[in-house]
Amino acid sequence: MDIRLALALAAGKAATAASRRLGLGAGSNFPGKVVLRLHPRATEKIASRLARGCVLVTGTNGKTTTSNLLAAMFRQAGLRPVHNRVGANLISGITAALAQASDLSGKPGGDIGLFEVDEATLPEAVRRLRPGLVIITNLFRDQLDRYGELETLAHKMDSALGEMESGSAVLLNADDPLVACLGASSAASLYYFGIECEEVGEGVLRHAADSKHCRECGSPLDFAVHFFGHMGKYSCPLCGTSRPRPHFIAERVGLKGTLGSTVTLTTPAWKTTLELNIPGLYNVHNLLAAAGGAYLLGLDEEMVRRGVEGYVTAFGRGERLPVEGRNIFLVLSKNPTGFNEVIRTVREEGSDLVVLAALNDRVADGRDVSWIWDVDFEELAPLPRVLVATGTRAWDMALRMKYAGLDPARLEVRENLRDALRTALSRTAEGETVYALTTYTATLELRRLLTRLGAAPGLWEER
Amino acid sequence: MKGVILRICHLYPELMNIYGDRGNVIALERRCAWRGIRVEVSRLSIGDPLDPTSFDLFFIGGGQDREQMLVCEDLSSEKGAALRQAVEEGAALLSICGGYQLLGKSFLTWTGEYLPGIGLFDAETVGGDTRFIGNVAVRCTLEGAEGILVGFENHSGRTRLGPGCRPLGKVVYGHGNNGVDNTEGCVYRHALGTYLHGSLLPKNPLLADWLILQALRRRYDLEALPPLDDTLEEAAHRAALRLTREERGPLRSLRRLAAR
Repeated sequence: MDIRLALALAAGKAATAASRRLGLGAGSNFPGKVVLRLHPRATEKIASRLARGCVLVTGTNGKTTTSNLLAAMFRQAGLRPVHNRVGANLISGITAALAQASDLSGKPGGDIGLFEVDEATLPEAVRRLRPGLVIITNLFRDQLDRYGELETLAHKMDSALGEMESGSAVLLNADDPLVACLGASSAASLYYFGIECEEVGEGVLRHAADSKHCRECGSPLDFAVHFFGHMGKYSCPLCGTSRPRPHFIAERVGLKGTLGSTVTLTTPAWKTTLELNIPGLYNVHNLLAAAGGAYLLGLDEEMVRRGVEGYVTAFGRGERLPVEGRNIFLVLSKNPTGFNEVIRTVREEGSDLVVLAALNDRVADGRDVSWIWDVDFEELAPLPRVLVATGTRAWDMALRMKYAGLDPARLEVRENLRDALRTALSRTAEGETVYALTTYTATLELRRLLTRLGAAPGLWEER
Repeated sequence: MKGVILRICHLYPELMNIYGDRGNVIALERRCAWRGIRVEVSRLSIGDPLDPTSFDLFFIGGGQDREQMLVCEDLSSEKGAALRQAVEEGAALLSICGGYQLLGKSFLTWTGEYLPGIGLFDAETVGGDTRFIGNVAVRCTLEGAEGILVGFENHSGRTRLGPGCRPLGKVVYGHGNNGVDNTEGCVYRHALGTYLHGSLLPKNPLLADWLILQALRRRYDLEALPPLDDTLEEAAHRAALRLTREERGPLRSLRRLAAR
C-alpha cells in the first residue's frame, strides 16, 4: 500500500466531509487540491485502476447534461461510474471525485471514470487520465477574459486530441464547424454526431454565431440550414471542406417547449424514437453526444433508452421546482448561444410571463458581461409581465432589456437575489411559473436559496 | 425631430463583433428612435465598396486575430482612404479595441505579425505578452462629453499616441492605451478610438449622444439633442463605477475583507 497516497486520500475525504458540513457543496475543488498537494500524481494513480478506463466530456455548453445522461445510461448497463457530476470540472474537481470514490489504497469503488472537463483543462486531463473516449459538444465564445480567444482554445484542444492513443475514440459534433475539424492529427478514431432534421433549423445566422469561416481556407461558409449559434449544415464554397457525415443522427425532432422533445435517433446499428424530458434543440445535441458515447462503449439500444427515459434533469439545467404553490423553472444561461436557445424555449410558453434574470460577473461567470449584448433579448422583450433583474450586474441586465424594447415599467431591479426571488414570487399567481434565467454562480446561489426554502434537494443529496 | 435621418455604417459586423460591440449600434439606434430620428444602418463587409459621402456615423468593433487580419487586408484597399476622407469631411466614427488598432498607423503583434493600419489616428500599437483585462473607469476630456466613462477592457495591444491626435481621457481605474502613460483611447476630429467595451455606449449615454450630435451636424443645423429619461442608464453607470472602484480602487483588500 502506498502510504503517501493513503494519507492524501484520507485528508481529501476529511476535506470533503468538512466542506459538506459547512454547506460548501460536495463538488467544490478544495478536497481535490488537498489531495494533489499531498500526492501530485494521485489522479493518475486512481484513474489507472478503473477497469473500463475514462470518458471525458468537454465543450462550452452541454458538458454537465451530456455526462449526466451518459451516467444514467451507464447505470442501466450495470456500470458504476466515478463521476464529477456536480460540475467541478478542473483537475482538482476530478481528483476530488476520484478520491471520494476510492478506498485508502487508491482502489476506485467504480469501474469507469466519467468526467466533465473544462475546455482549457482538456490537455492536462488527457495527459493524466489517458481517456478511451473524449466527447466534444461544441465551442462557443464564453468567458473571453478567462479562456482567451476561441481560435487559441480550439488549437489547444486539437493538440490534446493529438496525444490520444490509437484504439481510443473521439466523438465530435459534426454540426459545429469549429469542433468537426478537430482531431485530424489524432491517432484516435473519429466519430461524429449531428442533426439531420432541417425543419428545426432557422433561416438566418444569429448575432452570437462565432465560426462562420472555413477553418481550412478562411472563406465564408455556406450554410444550408442553421440550427442555433453557428451550428448547422455547412460547406465551404471555395475549398470544398464540408460537414462530416455523422454516425449518430437525430433524424426527426419534435420540440415541445420547456417540456422537452421527441427525437428519432439513429446509430450504425439501430434506430429508435425517444422522449427527451429536457428542453431545447441544444439538449438534442447533448442526447446525441451521450447516446453516441454509450454506443461506442458497447452499450445497447435498451440501456440508452432506459437511461434517457428515466433521466432526472441535471441541477439547474431546466429544473422545475415547486415553491409556495408556484413553480420555478430554473435554467442556467451563461453565454450568448445558450441564452438564445433558452429564450427560444421560453417563447413557446406564451406571453405575460414572470421572468427573473440573474447576471453575475464573478470569476466563474466571466468578469466581462459585454456578452449580454450578443444575446437576442429582443425576442424575450415582448414576453414578460414583469422582469426582475438581479445579480452583481443587475443594472446591466435591466439596461439590456430596456434597449431590447422592454417597457421600463415592467422592469424591477433587485440587486439582492433573495429580494429578487421574493419580488418575482409576489408577482406570480398560484400555479404559475417564474422563469429564472441565471448565470453560473447565480444558478448556484438561487439553488441554495431554494434548498433552504425546502423546494430543492441539496446538491449532494440528489439520487 | 421629424425628417431628420442618421445614416450609420456598421463596418464588418460579422467579423468585428467579439465583445458584444453590437450593443453600441443598438444604443445609437434606440436613442435616435426615442427622439423620432430615423436611422438607417448599412452593414458593409469584405469587398463592399464604401462611399464616403453616404454616411454620417461609422462604427467598427473588435475581432479575433484571424478576423482582424482579414479586415486589415480589406481596409488597405481604397476603403481605408474612403474612411479617412469621410472623417476629414466631418463624419463621426467610433472604433473599439481591434477596430481602433486597425485605424492607427500600425499594429505589430506579440507573435511578430505586422498589420499596417489606415493611419486615421496618429497611433501605433505593439502587442504585449500579457493581456490587460478588467473593469475600467476613464475621465473623459472630450468637449461636450466630459465625465466618467465606464467599461471593460481585454487587450494585449499597447497603443501609443503621436502628436496628431489626443487621448479620449485619463485612466482612473484600469490600464487604458498602454498601462504606462495613463491615457485611454484617442480622438481625431469626430473620430474616436477606445479599448472600452461593456458595451460602451449604453452605460455612457453622454458619449452616445455626443456621437449622434456630431454625426447629425454634418448635414443638419443643430445646437443640441432633446434630452431623454436616462434614469436607468445613470443607475447602471453608477453601479458599474462602484464595482470598478471595489475591484481596482484604493483599499480594495479592505473592501474585499469587509464584503465577506
